[in-house]
Amino acid sequence: MRARRILAIVFIFVLLCPAVAHADEPYSNYNYDFWGTPIPAPAAYVPSRIIDGRALDIDNFNKPSDLFTGPDNRLYVADSGNSRIVVINENWELDRIIDGFDKNGVRDTFRNPQGLFVTPTGEIYVADTDNSRIVHLDPDGKFIREIGPPVSDIIPADFKYYPTALVVDKANRIYIVAQGVNQGLIELDHNGDFVGYTGASKVKINLIDYTWKMIATDEQRERMVLFVPTEYNNIDIDNDGFLYVTTGTIALEDIDYAIRTRSKDDRYAPVRKLNPTGTDVLRRNGYFPPVGDVSFRSRGYAEAGHSQLYDVCVEDSGIYSVLDKKKGRIFTYDTDGNLLYVFGGIGNRLGNFRDPVALDIINDQFVVLDFNMAQITVFEPTEYGRLVKEAVELHLNGKYDESAARWEQVLKYNANCELAYIGMGKAYLRKDDFRNAMKYFKLGNKRDYYSKAFDLYRQEVIGDNFGLVVAGLVVLYIGSRVLKRIRVRKKAGLKAMGKVEA
Amino acid sequence: MEVLQSLRYSLYLIFHPFDGFWDLKHEKKGNLKTAMLIVAMVCVTFILRRQLTGFILNEVKLRELNIIVEILSVALPFFLWCVANWCLTTLMDGEGSFKDIVITSAYALIPLILINLPLIAFSNVITLEEAAFYRFFDILAIVWAGVLLFLGTSVVHQYSLTKTFLTCICIVIGMGLIIFIALLFFSLLQQMFSFFYTIYKEVALRL
Repeated sequence: MRARRILAIVFIFVLLCPAVAHADEPYSNYNYDFWGTPIPAPAAYVPSRIIDGRALDIDNFNKPSDLFTGPDNRLYVADSGNSRIVVINENWELDRIIDGFDKNGVRDTFRNPQGLFVTPTGEIYVADTDNSRIVHLDPDGKFIREIGPPVSDIIPADFKYYPTALVVDKANRIYIVAQGVNQGLIELDHNGDFVGYTGASKVKINLIDYTWKMIATDEQRERMVLFVPTEYNNIDIDNDGFLYVTTGTIALEDIDYAIRTRSKDDRYAPVRKLNPTGTDVLRRNGYFPPVGDVSFRSRGYAEAGHSQLYDVCVEDSGIYSVLDKKKGRIFTYDTDGNLLYVFGGIGNRLGNFRDPVALDIINDQFVVLDFNMAQITVFEPTEYGRLVKEAVELHLNGKYDESAARWEQVLKYNANCELAYIGMGKAYLRKDDFRNAMKYFKLGNKRDYYSKAFDLYRQEVIGDNFGLVVAGLVVLYIGSRVLKRIRVRKKAGLKAMGKVEA
Repeated sequence: MEVLQSLRYSLYLIFHPFDGFWDLKHEKKGNLKTAMLIVAMVCVTFILRRQLTGFILNEVKLRELNIIVEILSVALPFFLWCVANWCLTTLMDGEGSFKDIVITSAYALIPLILINLPLIAFSNVITLEEAAFYRFFDILAIVWAGVLLFLGTSVVHQYSLTKTFLTCICIVIGMGLIIFIALLFFSLLQQMFSFFYTIYKEVALRL
């Protein structure tokens, strides 16, 4: 009786206790399953702070359009509207402002610089957009050189040069994204001389358009829309010198088609990884190609429509993230093209954006620049996000067992994480535990790996029971012979009986 | 007993279609009961196939089985074929009655059952590399049934092969027409219903 009373009191206390309060991100956290259904997932990244002019104790940013993580975890911001570069140190305090430089004794300034790049040694390259030039500064912000519009026979004389983004590789070659250029990236050598265009995407020829064009007259042909390749809008470079580019000009039907057919074709790909010859080498082995959202409600809803990729950033491990300008989401993919996590959204609260334009990673934290709100949002990983990332990175480094241990923990947070099941399955496969490998690959909907595990399992079963299999076959054979003979005899007997009756 | 015998006869029929279909009609080897049983078996086969095909070759959501949809997806095309077939062949001097058509068409589906059932078991013991065999038999079943359907139509109506071929094309077009008219009918019905409903509402609110 007494025990019961105590129990009752405990129950009352439990009921009276408020639910555990937790910070709620102003966006939905989800991932796509094998069938493309968005499945809720734990938050991988949560907003931690906002950096704007006031936080740095300077004039507010004005239409900032790019940011870049330099050495020593300094953050370089291209504050385009104020024509200056703001450098922020790793404690999120102002390091310095570069609003001009001394060019051969003459004071010079930027005009609407929209892109910048900082080399590992700290040299700064600024795409000084309205001045139609690239400005090269040393780590202290002193002028080294400027690189004007590219000169070549293949560039028309009336070409207006507005560089908006750039990267510099280890050999000091410069790759530039410029407004209105659809031949790909502009490649300059270490002297700043024009080498050529690189990374132009193949044009997809539509059979119907092609036939029309064949029967059209010259005048009609001129009035037709030109078949133009896609135009790039942003660029990043990884440690091995591969260029990551994004484009927002792929036709929505093509993206739909790519999602529907789980296409690996780079022609429908809004994010590409270019090797030194300009060919796309991005692996697209996930359930869906990396295009951002793969399932969306039809038009008319606030969150409807396709993603519009606007920036990309690559981490040292090869994990890359893309920024969806339209819906304010960040999608992170591993090197195989599996979607790891999604976060961010459009809105007015901490962790939302109005017009996100640039994305980079600094010390495991994402920084997203908002053009419209003129501020930077910093996101830090949660335990879940960190586990997923570590699991992927450990796997890439060949530490499979540790990776599997991380995946196991991930599953405790998120039992719907198909990627974690696949990771566990791979670990079991390596340990020759085929049955468990099959079980996990099935949970992860990974058919090719399941097939591999099943093949080995089948070999094992047949190998173990080889004697039994042979014996079974022999018994079957003899049995069928005996049965046949019995049947023949019966028939003969019946015939004989029939004759007697007749 | 009659049904069992008739089913056994179908095994002979699929290997000897000309004789088989002839006797099916003229020697009364087939009957409607068996035909319905075969159609039901095809439905069951397809449901089993959807649910039990090995994981490697099966990409459907197993949890989302709608048995009515599955049954209709077999039965509806079948009866549509029969109806379109009958509509056309009565106009084109076909000798088969509607019953004959149903029986013939049902018997032509036997290969779908015979091949698909073992194939379900087979799909559970193969890997992706061996999937080509699976696909081969999968297609074989359809082609075989298609050829039987064609020959059955030819025999039951006593058509020449060219005439049968043209008729088959017309039947397929006819099936499309029937679907179109049915959709039109339902859409009109719906509009009529909503029209009268609005009148009713208008009157009811004014009174």
